[in-house]
Amino acid sequence: MNTAATEIVLEARAITKRYPGTIALDRVTFRVHRNQVNVLIGENGAGKSTLMRILAGVEAADEGELLLDGATISVRSPREAASHGISIVHQELSTLPNLDISENIFAGRELVKAAILVDRPAQDLRSAAALRKLRRPMPVRTPAAQLSLGCRQIAEAARTLDQGARILILDEPTSALSTAEADSLFHVIADLKRAGVTIIYISHRLNELLHLGDCFTVLRSGRVVGEALRAEVSRQWIVERMSGNAGAGEVQTRVPAAGAPELLVVKGLSLAASGTDEAAQAPLHDLSFTLHRREILGVYGLLGAGRTELLESLAGSRPSFAGQIILGGKQLHISTVADAVKAGIVLVPEDRQRDGLIPEMSIRENISLGSETGFFLSRARETLRVRELAGELNIATRDLELPVTTLSGGNQQKALIARCMMRSPSLLLLDEPTRGVDAVAKVEVYRILRGLAAKGLGILFTSSEIEETRMLADRVLVLCQGRISAKFSFAELTDETLFAAASPAVSTAHSSQSSELRSHD
Amino acid sequence: MTEHLSSPGRSDRLATSSVRALLFLLRARAVFVLLLLLILFSALAPSFLTANNLSILSKHVAISAILAIGMTFVVLTGGIDLSVGSVAGLGGMVAGYLLTQGLTFGGSVHYPGVLIAILIALAVCFAVGLLNGWLVAKAGVAPFIATLGTLYIARGAALLLSNGKTFPNLGGQAVRGNTGFPLLGQSFLLGIPLPVWIMLALFAVVALVAAKTPLGRHVYAVGGNERAARLAGIRVPRVKLVTYLVSSLCAALVGLIIASQLEAAHPATGESFELNAIAAVVLGGTSLMGGRGSVTGSLIGAFVIGVLSDGLVMLGVSEFWQMVIKGTVIVLAVAIDQLQSRLQAKFLPYLLSSSPEDGQ
Repeated sequence: MNTAATEIVLEARAITKRYPGTIALDRVTFRVHRNQVNVLIGENGAGKSTLMRILAGVEAADEGELLLDGATISVRSPREAASHGISIVHQELSTLPNLDISENIFAGRELVKAAILVDRPAQDLRSAAALRKLRRPMPVRTPAAQLSLGCRQIAEAARTLDQGARILILDEPTSALSTAEADSLFHVIADLKRAGVTIIYISHRLNELLHLGDCFTVLRSGRVVGEALRAEVSRQWIVERMSGNAGAGEVQTRVPAAGAPELLVVKGLSLAASGTDEAAQAPLHDLSFTLHRREILGVYGLLGAGRTELLESLAGSRPSFAGQIILGGKQLHISTVADAVKAGIVLVPEDRQRDGLIPEMSIRENISLGSETGFFLSRARETLRVRELAGELNIATRDLELPVTTLSGGNQQKALIARCMMRSPSLLLLDEPTRGVDAVAKVEVYRILRGLAAKGLGILFTSSEIEETRMLADRVLVLCQGRISAKFSFAELTDETLFAAASPAVSTAHSSQSSELRSHD
Repeated sequence: MTEHLSSPGRSDRLATSSVRALLFLLRARAVFVLLLLLILFSALAPSFLTANNLSILSKHVAISAILAIGMTFVVLTGGIDLSVGSVAGLGGMVAGYLLTQGLTFGGSVHYPGVLIAILIALAVCFAVGLLNGWLVAKAGVAPFIATLGTLYIARGAALLLSNGKTFPNLGGQAVRGNTGFPLLGQSFLLGIPLPVWIMLALFAVVALVAAKTPLGRHVYAVGGNERAARLAGIRVPRVKLVTYLVSSLCAALVGLIIASQLEAAHPATGESFELNAIAAVVLGGTSLMGGRGSVTGSLIGAFVIGVLSDGLVMLGVSEFWQMVIKGTVIVLAVAIDQLQSRLQAKFLPYLLSSSPEDGQ
């Protein structure tokens, strides 16, 4: 398979896409080989998802063209993309939880009889057939809300299969899956390939890419920096191209925090699971750990391990937790965000757009949000303080009065860090500190955080990236299904041990047996 | 840092000046519409610009402007207050009841003074605002539903007070020591009706709070991104509660002013006023999604609506056509608002095209 000369089915030629303040794709040419698994690799913010959204008709390119079987096509809407046989399974699952599997498979393209009535029996039959083809038969009338993430993905794959997709885009399909679920997805991909479908596959996980991929394209900062067939590709090859020279050569100097006094002591932190769709909450079981002043503690874990829940409990936005939080020797009673802020704990949330920025406001107003005091605002004092922080954190903008949306991802992130620093905290929490930030800004964020820690701040961050955890953390806690499964110091850390500790031992789509606590310390 | 904050070159400014001009025209459209209407009506109706007419006009405007000013904060947080018309009716009725029926305790009837009556009326309406705020901020009821409920509750309460009848003769009696209520709506200060002064004072206070205080900033933040505001440590429920209290108090004032002007409290006072207030807020450029808009805009919006309806009456346009025209203006205003935000989003990258390298 790998050696066979392959044919280009789809080519995105010289695609350029700009967003305010940033170029997401810079004359990118991406070739898709027929009936192969085409892997697209790149760090967060490299432009992978943007490119896929353009292929799927969700967004329009500013420049460049798409060629299908050598002929130029226009893809201005998902519907048009589907008519060319291009379908996408989004990173954020787009199943409708209030509908059942069969309704989801036919959402927006319902089969009708008598011109107006939905033909449920026909939909159910075809849904069942599509699921059988994927070797994952499921009752088609099961509400999507009751399905595991893995099963929802199967349902989406079935939808694209039924649409007669020739090219299927899978955008980080395994990021939320357990190992067993991911395995079954790989079988599905093999089946699809056998059925003649071309796959475009995006993931961060090198192991599965090397396992699945036939053709590899590497994106970095909106440019293609490598293209090769499986035979020429090694782990080394990918990592070198992904990181460029900027990140890979960087050696962090770490000040051992051993001598520093304890800042945060967490004892027996537990949180009950809640299962509503929108705000599903992973449980936490009896977490205990300490954090010293001047220390950067990383929490590594897969999606759903409870990373966000841990940080949000400390930050006061999940007040229903049990356990003790002691900061600087004082036991805290945190039931609101305001309590946490008052105690000196601030959080930079994971999702900047959803949880961080007020898009209507200026950069200055965003940074000073929540730290206004007194009855009247003092514009002069505020501007002075914000300018100072913007300088310290190197926020690149020509005017702090511009809307915050004009900043690039990295600078928006720095603005949110600045907002936290406005409150002079003693503990800074960061949830995925560099999500959607380009490689250069990433390194800069690490440098800034290191600088803040050196000044006496305690920093606790979570990450789903091994690379980031290794580069930033002095010490690492690994979370797995709401438990601390391992603790590592900076020196003990390797990719393999980290990943092994984070992966649940036994877990399938159907049984939710919790894994044994594996302690590495 | 200083090189990042350097100002753009002259040529860039020239290149973007036409875009800026267009955006400015769109943003200030309510003012232009108001000027246009004033010119149009003064040309078509000779009596439009007389002192007498302007005095009447300003009283009408004051009523919808006070409601709109109060409504602005609610809408800025992404909420809506449908109860203001009923609350106005209730406020007038409470004052009317106290001034004409008095309070009975110990077998004898006591008549509270005008000031006490006004304060009690305000307090009752404050309670309705408290209920609105509690329902929205604490109980998590959608603002539309919560205030629809209190719309009925307040109206029902107003009707119950008089069993559906009007309280006439609010002028009071010297014997009872409760004269002077009509002064609120009918007196003049420096030749300008008192309600207009009340409107201006409220405008000044609310605009100041919006622009210069943490509370104002938080109102915008909650409307812009409620989750982010909460995670930034803003007490979102408290902010929302305050907005509904402001709205109800403004509505109460309107009810009192109307009762004072008529020297009678009618339980149906204020019906459909909420729609006028919302229309004024929206005309002024405040987004119903929250986070964007201004108190000044609402004031201008109220002027547009007031001038439009009074002018059409003077021109002898039929009442039915008035409704069609008013509706058209409102819909057009919102459509242009959408156009403006789309254009702004589209042109922003070009306005910033001269910015230095931006991190990516």
